[in-house]
Amino acid sequence: MVRRVVAGLVLVVLLGWAVLVAAVSWAMHQSPEQFGRFMAKMPGPAYLVLPFETLWMRARQGALRVGDEAPDFNLATVDKSARVRLSDLRGKPVVLVFGSYT
Amino acid sequence: MNALYERYRDSAAFYVIYILEAHPSDVWQMQSNVRDNVVFSSPRDIEERSGLAGTCVRKLGIKFPALVDGFENATERAYTGWPDRLYVIDAAGRVAYKSKPGPFGFLPAELEATLREQAESRSAARQ
Repeated sequence: MVRRVVAGLVLVVLLGWAVLVAAVSWAMHQSPEQFGRFMAKMPGPAYLVLPFETLWMRARQGALRVGDEAPDFNLATVDKSARVRLSDLRGKPVVLVFGSYT
Repeated sequence: MNALYERYRDSAAFYVIYILEAHPSDVWQMQSNVRDNVVFSSPRDIEERSGLAGTCVRKLGIKFPALVDGFENATERAYTGWPDRLYVIDAAGRVAYKSKPGPFGFLPAELEATLREQAESRSAARQ
């Protein structure tokens, strides 16, 4: 009897965990804004039981691979004094640092 | 990244691509940002985004030029750049290094290894 109750409880916990992992993984595949809104509602302790980093690395892998042609862009500098087109920079390696303030 | 820029500025071009905020106060606020007083709501248009990008560059003391992604985030999507990520594009316009997604994958030391290889293969090609 006790054994059955314990087994049932373990099953419920495992199922709950699986649902949580699936939900977070789904959210990671949405747009950054949607993912941010999802995570804002997530209680802190959930991080401790989730393989967050593994899920994140997989979800945000992206389609670009080493050796692929780099997608071109033509973007304004912060002070809007100039525009820079990636394809104009051939002949030298280009380092791109993606990021934001927060 | 400034240190890498100082070391490799002659052999490579460096650009920040300022993309959508990772933790704006109206979406997913981080306590660490509140402590550091880095609290901003999401920019509502490209003007606001450029303004915040300028603040970011000044406050973080970034020494190399920063470009602002368009408001439809096309560059971010093409490179899966959010929340942060590093790339090296080689002289022929191909991806030579792509970091894993940040924050976990943001490892300047990995990028430096690629830059060193690029510099070596270029000097070998000249001989």
